[in-house]
Amino acid sequence: MKILIVEDETGLRDSIEAYFTGGDSICETANDFTSALKKVSVYRYDCVILDLTLPYGNGLDIVKHLKANGHNDGVLIISAKNSLDDRLTGLDLGADDYLTKPFHLSELKSRVTAIVRRRSFNGSSILKFNEINIDLDAKTVKLNDLVVKFTRKEYSLLLYFIANKGKVVSKSAIAEHLWGDSIDIADNFDFIYSHIKNIRKKLVEAGANDYIQAAYGMGYKFTDA
Amino acid sequence: MKLFDKYNRVNIGVTIVIMLVTGIVYYYTISHILTGQIDKDLVLEENEVFSYVSKNHRLPDVYESNHQQIVFAPIGQQSDQRRFLDTVYRDYDEKKIEAARALISSVKVSGQNYRITVTQSKVETEDLIQIIFLITIGVIVALLAILIILNRVILKSIWKPFYKVLFQLKEFSLASNPIVSSTLSTIDEFTELDQAVISMADRVKSDYQNLKGFTENASHELMTPISIINSKLDILVQTDEFTDKQSKLLNDIYSTVTRLTRLNKSMLLLAKIENGLIKDIHDVDIKEVLEECLYQHEEMLQQLDIILSTDLHNKKIHANKSLIEILLNNLLSNSIRHNYHNGQLSVILDAQKLTITNTGEGSFNFDQMLKRFHKSDGSEGIGLGLTLCKQICDKYGFKLGYKLDDKMHTFSVIF
Repeated sequence: MKILIVEDETGLRDSIEAYFTGGDSICETANDFTSALKKVSVYRYDCVILDLTLPYGNGLDIVKHLKANGHNDGVLIISAKNSLDDRLTGLDLGADDYLTKPFHLSELKSRVTAIVRRRSFNGSSILKFNEINIDLDAKTVKLNDLVVKFTRKEYSLLLYFIANKGKVVSKSAIAEHLWGDSIDIADNFDFIYSHIKNIRKKLVEAGANDYIQAAYGMGYKFTDA
Repeated sequence: MKLFDKYNRVNIGVTIVIMLVTGIVYYYTISHILTGQIDKDLVLEENEVFSYVSKNHRLPDVYESNHQQIVFAPIGQQSDQRRFLDTVYRDYDEKKIEAARALISSVKVSGQNYRITVTQSKVETEDLIQIIFLITIGVIVALLAILIILNRVILKSIWKPFYKVLFQLKEFSLASNPIVSSTLSTIDEFTELDQAVISMADRVKSDYQNLKGFTENASHELMTPISIINSKLDILVQTDEFTDKQSKLLNDIYSTVTRLTRLNKSMLLLAKIENGLIKDIHDVDIKEVLEECLYQHEEMLQQLDIILSTDLHNKKIHANKSLIEILLNNLLSNSIRHNYHNGQLSVILDAQKLTITNTGEGSFNFDQMLKRFHKSDGSEGIGLGLTLCKQICDKYGFKLGYKLDDKMHTFSVIF
């Protein structure tokens, strides 16, 4: 997938680029409003990761520009302004999602993947990962035509892993993804382990490979390598 | 004591004393003048007697006119000193004793001395004085009444601006946003007071706004560096193999950054609630949010084998959904975190209130807990949880209550 990262903070922009580059993704970056506008005018992207507070302009105007010109690029807004007004305006203007800084890169990747998936499948809602078939509408997982029952959290975690395949996903990121940020995460680290154990067990028992690896006690990695 | 009353009391007291003194002086002056008048009448009678005696060489016939009497009494060779005196007059017709003025003098008729006593009743004079006195008193009373009424009416209307300013000062609050409006007055002092109050309110408000703005901006500005640290950590863990020691360090950094983020988010949220920046208000189904919160906490409940009992009825309120989630999540997290193994948790929601009751060791001071950064001993939270709950409840006019009853901690939110 082709991604445009519009972010004026060099540190954050580089991190996002480093995380997204590789695999089947190509990344381009823009560090201010002018260059971002120039890029979205000429090239098409599967998803634009867009910061709102930019030098020389407001990110929301880029969303407006895209919609005004009939471009169907996915837009994910990232902003430190957890302002609900911005969030609503952004979504009203046609942005697909909104993520508040600070966020984990794995969370960003999972959101971007979801946006791209929604746009590219054009109605088809089946996500395939080797022998695992996931029906995103029915929220069911099938292995070799056999339905495997996952709980809501396990299902969500599985999708999260697939979106971040090949990456080490930290426990903090997993906890935040599963329980949101209004629950104290430190309490939940123990529970991550049991959820992962259940996912692995269910997958392996249904005849799938064991894709989930523990990564040096810091997190987990979903990999088919 | 009100300024009016104090002022009126002094004013009326002084007026009464002055009026009384004036009345007394008045009384004695008039009395003195009238007595002088009577004395002249008495001398006139005496002279008549003298002229009668020198012409006829005998005493005149004693006659008695209205309120006047002349009496002769032989006193031999001795003479009597001529003098005026106050005495009484006996009115034989009316059988009354009246105050009177008398002149005692003497006259020599055919070598015999007689004492002349001319007495005149003062009853008419007294009547006159009485009338004058009554009129004076009447004037005093009327004057006082008018004074009191005038004071009341005029002072009340004059002080009106003052009371308006006072009312505004009483109603003044930094948290809510009432406008201190200027009060028109023709009195310089009040205009000055009004202006001073307005400028003070403005100054206090702008200082407070700056302070609040600072918290918000500071939290805001911190978000960018935190998100960079966070993203760099996410990149760092992708890079290489780590030793146990390194991964332990990385884990610690991760959880610290997470904590920093939470702390910062809470502060930002508090500042936003206080600044009234939370909008996006919808109908929120409390039951639905509560069920979701309970679902989010299911692992914690299972781990502690907490016996959960719920009785949830439908309740919708008009609020911001995220705030309600934070409120309910905080209350539930607390009730689970401070619970013990095999403890109990009961969640009851009805149209009037939400009650969360849990078992738990120890006790704490609820009012202290509402303060920022106040944590119970051994708590791993950031110390803003209950402060946030309180702020959210205040924002929507809910009442957050707590009671401890035999190891059962009950938090209630009355809608």
